Amino acid sequence: MPFLLGGAILSGVLEEFLPRSLMTRLLPGNPRLAVLVSGFLGVLFPVCECGIVPVVRRLMRKGLPVSCGVTYMLAAPIVNPLVILSTLAAFRGQGAWEMTVLRFSLGLTVALLAGWTMSYFSQTKILRDEVLGESGDHHHHDEEFSLLERLQNAAGVASKDFLDVGVYFVIGAAAASLFSTAVNQEIILPLAANPPLAIASLMGLASILSVCSTTDAFIAATLTTFPMASKLAFLVFGPMIDLKLLFLYGAAFSKRFILCLSIGLFIVIGLICWRIAVLNLGW
Amino acid sequence: MGFYHRITPLRDAILLLLWGGVIMRLWSKGELSNYLHPALQPFTLGAGVLLLILAAFAFRGLTAKNADSHECCHGSHDHHHGSLAGFVAKTLVLLLPLMALISGQALQFTITTIQNRGVVQDLKSLPAANASEHTQNQNPTVPEASATEGAMPIQVIDLLYAVQMPTYRQEFEGKQVEMIGQYVPLATGNPKGDRFQLVRLFITCCAADAKPVGVTVQFSRPLKLQEMAWVKVTGTPVFPVEGGRRTPVLEATKVDQCAAPEEPFVY
Repeated sequence: MPFLLGGAILSGVLEEFLPRSLMTRLLPGNPRLAVLVSGFLGVLFPVCECGIVPVVRRLMRKGLPVSCGVTYMLAAPIVNPLVILSTLAAFRGQGAWEMTVLRFSLGLTVALLAGWTMSYFSQTKILRDEVLGESGDHHHHDEEFSLLERLQNAAGVASKDFLDVGVYFVIGAAAASLFSTAVNQEIILPLAANPPLAIASLMGLASILSVCSTTDAFIAATLTTFPMASKLAFLVFGPMIDLKLLFLYGAAFSKRFILCLSIGLFIVIGLICWRIAVLNLGW
Repeated sequence: MGFYHRITPLRDAILLLLWGGVIMRLWSKGELSNYLHPALQPFTLGAGVLLLILAAFAFRGLTAKNADSHECCHGSHDHHHGSLAGFVAKTLVLLLPLMALISGQALQFTITTIQNRGVVQDLKSLPAANASEHTQNQNPTVPEASATEGAMPIQVIDLLYAVQMPTYRQEFEGKQVEMIGQYVPLATGNPKGDRFQLVRLFITCCAADAKPVGVTVQFSRPLKLQEMAWVKVTGTPVFPVEGGRRTPVLEATKVDQCAAPEEPFVY
């Protein structure tokens, strides 16, 4: 919840104090290059998956291309420095550097692929009507209003975003806690010996547990009977798609897009991790 | 514009006040530790303060007389007003967690949750164990015996470390120890019916990732305890090899029901 609120407050500040022109000036004109830059934004502006939705929703309302927004949203929870450090710490003695580098690389690659793919689709098919319907640039008042009034407006935006996204967060967290307590997690243990099933089952487990990307590596590291490629799938898929996020994404994106994104990421991450398992990197 | 459209700003201000208020209440009563790792509690306290500040701004916005100031854009420029059903549903969804927190229902971990998550008796299956400061060469601090009864107060997790570290194990073998944990009946591997598990929940981040850790307790006298009841167990730890691996077993001399500790989780 603190991270969701942090994202909402950042959203309020962006709305009130970030001119639309600045964002378009900062991003390269070439759409593919803009997606690439967006992928690395998570390193500079680290936001975890709970806080990212209000930020991305606000940035897209301010004119950030959807392809860039999706890339930033998927990459930021994985490429942020806290997550890198926690992955290193959790996998100490289990190929920590390899796991951390692969998690960063695969997370970034998949986010870029998703972003580039999004650039071929109309944003009307991706975004919710409420997000589409707002031009978002109300900065006609920079010189008209006092700092207190501008803070008042930023607080209003932050409050609205917190409560709007909070509804989805509460429903998602409730669904995740229901599944994570009611489903026997030991039923997947026999699947550990079969790489494709192990990868699919750990991606499913990551979705059910809905653990924050800053701590999920500590959970993955304890799944000692599972191959490392399946743990990598857990660490890349979980921060992009989990039960809680499925509801959170609903605050900004259409249901059809969320469904397609979930299936696409499951297949792409699953196939890449299966390939890594076949390569047998000596883990 | 309907009545509920007009009261939406008031509803939002009240919700922010309630969310901030409940967090501050949990903090003032020391109850944040029932949900969060100590490292995350300052963030949540900060969130509570920020929510109260946002609530103050929201109430200020309600009383602002100047209708043509920023009012055109209050509420994130969102001119999409939902239905009455949406208004009611959003209000309820945002109130329900607060009601669960105030009622204390959010604290309950049932025996089903413990069984579904599986009780960890091997340190390698415990989150963050690899990052722990406890290594083969560096024993955890051995607690001193309690002055009153001569029993050494230890945590469940101490015995899991002792299984892996022979030198640490020697500190406990043959000595009286006392532990507090939750009573979980042992349905399998208990042919004589004289064993149960003493369980604590280990968290890395928050209650969402809570993992039960436990040791087997052997106690020959009959017990009339509810599942998940808090108990204080006094006894002597032994470390037999059972099922091909070394396992911690506490041979208990006394099992008493007790109050839940101030910090229900172990870290």
